[in-house]
Amino acid sequence: MKINISPEFNKFPWSYFTLSLVLLLIGMLTLYSISYQEEFSLANSFIKQSIFIIPALFLFVIALFLPRTLIHKYAYIVFIIGIISVIIPYSLPLRAGTHRWISFGLPFAIQPSEFVKIICIVAVARYLSDKKNAQMKSITALIIPFLIMLIPTLIVLKQPDLGTAVVMMIPIIPMLYWAGVRPYHLFLIGAPLISILAAFHPLAFTIWGMVLGIILYLSKPKFLIGAILYFTNIFLGLLSPILWNALAPYQQGRILTLFNPDRDPYGAAYQILQSITAIGSGGMWGKGWIEGTQTHLKFLPVQESDFILSVIGEELGFAMIAFILFIFGALIIKTIKFSISSNDRFSALVLIGIGTIFFSHVFVNTAMTVGLIPVKGLPLPFISAGGSFLLSCFFMIGLVMNFSRDYNA
Amino acid sequence: MLKAENAVTIRQYWVTTGIVIALLFLLLGRYFLLQIVNHDRYKTKANNNRIRTKTIPAPRGLILDRNGQIIVDNYPSYVLTATPGEMTDRPKQLALLASVINIDSKILSDNYKKYRRGQFVPARLFRDLSFDQISKVEENKRALSGISYEKHSERFYPGKAKLSHLIGFVKEVDKPIRERLNDPRDYIIGDLIGWSGIEKQFERKLKGTSGIEYLEVDTYGRKVGTFETLENITPTPGENFITTIDLDLQLFLENLMTKKKGAIIVSNALTGEILAAASAPDFPPELFTGVILPDEWNEIMKDPDNPLLNRMVQGLYQPGSITKMITAFALFENPEFDPSRKFNCSGFYQFGDRLFGCWLDSGHGNMDLKEAIEQSCDVYFYKTTQNLEVDHLGKWFRIFGFGEKTNLDFPIELKGLVPTKSYFNNRYGRYGWSKGALLNLAIGQGELLVTPMQIVKYINLLATHGNTPRVHLNRRNIRNLKSDLKLNADIWDYISESMYGVVNSEKGTGKKANIHYDNVQIYGKTGSAENPHGKTHAWFIGYAKNDQKLISVTILLENAGSGGSVAAPLAGKIFKYLFNDTSKKIVIHEN
Repeated sequence: MKINISPEFNKFPWSYFTLSLVLLLIGMLTLYSISYQEEFSLANSFIKQSIFIIPALFLFVIALFLPRTLIHKYAYIVFIIGIISVIIPYSLPLRAGTHRWISFGLPFAIQPSEFVKIICIVAVARYLSDKKNAQMKSITALIIPFLIMLIPTLIVLKQPDLGTAVVMMIPIIPMLYWAGVRPYHLFLIGAPLISILAAFHPLAFTIWGMVLGIILYLSKPKFLIGAILYFTNIFLGLLSPILWNALAPYQQGRILTLFNPDRDPYGAAYQILQSITAIGSGGMWGKGWIEGTQTHLKFLPVQESDFILSVIGEELGFAMIAFILFIFGALIIKTIKFSISSNDRFSALVLIGIGTIFFSHVFVNTAMTVGLIPVKGLPLPFISAGGSFLLSCFFMIGLVMNFSRDYNA
Repeated sequence: MLKAENAVTIRQYWVTTGIVIALLFLLLGRYFLLQIVNHDRYKTKANNNRIRTKTIPAPRGLILDRNGQIIVDNYPSYVLTATPGEMTDRPKQLALLASVINIDSKILSDNYKKYRRGQFVPARLFRDLSFDQISKVEENKRALSGISYEKHSERFYPGKAKLSHLIGFVKEVDKPIRERLNDPRDYIIGDLIGWSGIEKQFERKLKGTSGIEYLEVDTYGRKVGTFETLENITPTPGENFITTIDLDLQLFLENLMTKKKGAIIVSNALTGEILAAASAPDFPPELFTGVILPDEWNEIMKDPDNPLLNRMVQGLYQPGSITKMITAFALFENPEFDPSRKFNCSGFYQFGDRLFGCWLDSGHGNMDLKEAIEQSCDVYFYKTTQNLEVDHLGKWFRIFGFGEKTNLDFPIELKGLVPTKSYFNNRYGRYGWSKGALLNLAIGQGELLVTPMQIVKYINLLATHGNTPRVHLNRRNIRNLKSDLKLNADIWDYISESMYGVVNSEKGTGKKANIHYDNVQIYGKTGSAENPHGKTHAWFIGYAKNDQKLISVTILLENAGSGGSVAAPLAGKIFKYLFNDTSKKIVIHEN
């Protein structure tokens, strides 16, 4: 696609933008189908999403022309503003039982955490780009980026919003990898968490114990350090079920609620079952646009956002699912390509971070819809309904296109 | 700035891209499995079997009196529902339904519109189905696909006593109510929610948690069986709420208040428990359950006496002479004050160019403080309070809890008003008011406004010499919030003696509250509060004690006349009821 407005314009990779528009179109068609029978009002998700397209494109243009030096320079200040913005909802009354939103008296509220995701990536990219690859061998170089990510993540987790918190934390892994951290070190950071979780399942714990041992053996640390690492992990794992059982049931309940805030009255198992039935019954070509409404899919409480793929799978079939995954694949791989071909470290890190956000949204949402992973409320980029998320997605598209150009100034 | 060079290697690129592609193919494979390989299985499942969730409402907790008698109970009611997405021909089916159960089809279609909230969510059409109607629906099940009925529970009031202002009422959650809730996820449309009184205040306790039943139904919406792979979630019933109310005493009070207007509250001063409380006129507790007829409803809504107003906590009144003990406390604060010094009452008192009258036109003659309380002489208080400041008196009103909520277990409560100097300045201007305002306050008149419940707190403080727990309605109240008022014991004794005189002396204004029982002492104070709405409000506050009990009574009768002649006799009846017969004893000590 070539738009001949000015040579400056043609420097942007417009094909990348086209991919996002295709996804948006599919999303709008699906939302139209879902709200087909609803009345024309702001409660109608199709109408609501349509209204958000204009500001989304506006943010896209801003991100496109935002000077990269400015983003680099003010990365930390914006980061602090971002933290404040996720704290503000705590001082406001609960909205739908959470502290996720800031309302401006409009019919819509804004979810600042959607933007803080991007802000975190920029801040971490700034920190890592100030270091050389050689410096990445030290442990402090690992800890600070983790802290930068961890502070907003914990605040968002408490809102509660596990989905966003997870997506906020994931980009740190590829970003560190991109910055030259040894995969072995990344593994060591993640290991204790896996140890704790695996400990609740004897077989999983046994397998994990072996995997841990093999990896430690292959990476040849000093014997004492290797032994300490191994047994600390095993000990942590053995301890966690004991600590868990020592908690009172209501305390366990609180922790479970924290990690599963979307426990809805119908039960997650029921949602998955409905979702799988709907998708499976769609077949190769689906039941047809708007035709899927005759099934029980309307039972799904969040079909316009978290479970939108069930609607698509049912109405438009495997063909459309494969097409969507293909487009997402192209979008993400293009982002990675921009990252590696970018000639400065800061841009490369921002790009891989944004690519990871897109990918984790796609993966978590798509996998959850078919029961591959537990239900986590997380929308599908460009397709699911959700104003703040649409804004942030197009902002990211703008940033990627901006950062994809060679920086010569 | 952006000088650091990009040092990402081609190997890092391939590892990352490889992971992305691998995971995307994993997802694609899963969808392929579902949509292509197992397509037939899910297709059959989607076409032939439907899983339906049915909310099993949790029974709401009962409300009991202190002895375990049921005040509010539940009874089952059958609600007819329609699931839009399962109906084949809505207008025809609704018409058929209307003829089958013999009601107006307009009611059905109106309710359908009102309660519809989704293709596959049952919308309620009609409530209180009879068994006859249920069997008719069952007979025509095949033609009525999508039509079903659910069991709901409704509030039911088995006793004769109404307690309408105490227990309040529940409402059925509808769309607008649900949107206004803090956490809408806790309620579904059709649930009951406490809307006033105890029902509202203790909603969290009473509500319980609803359960879910998973049903497998066929294309006609008929239940085929329970769904084996999903386990039903059983409802958790709400907790019962035990009030401090004694149901028999309550009924006695309500009977006393028939055709009267006002509030009457009996409290155990030792524990702060409200034993019985009535606000009159009241309304039948069934008013909001939908059982009541429109005519009856209109009658209550149009009643100028406003039966829905809870006078105990939302009615504001001038307290009149019942606050004279507070004025006395304010006087005692001056160390030079001599209660035995006599002042002459000639029936009026001249202040500047204004005359302030005593209620007894002929005058009381020479009075000391005790006699002034006994006979409720106004002039004595005009003369003695001359040197007090408005804010000084106000301080004492506040010490006894005026101008602040009692925090009784009610969701709505008014604070009343204790006017201050700045209040008068704001209202009338710096020079727009005079010390005459103080004279009015000294006898409980003027701008001073109280709720009867604040007076309960006040009389309980007087009865216990400043050592009474917070007034409450929850029998299981373990928070023992004592309001401990430390004042000179001699002053307390003097005040008590005076109040004893009100009921027991020859000229006491509260003589009609006396029951002349050997071992029961009765104390009290009358009040006749002038007000802009006609005849004076009649007040009586008092307490009776023997070896075991210390029970206070607060009576307010709107525009009924003088406290001594109208309110005091009612107090006498209540004291008789409480103390004459050992079988009617109210257990007050066990906890």
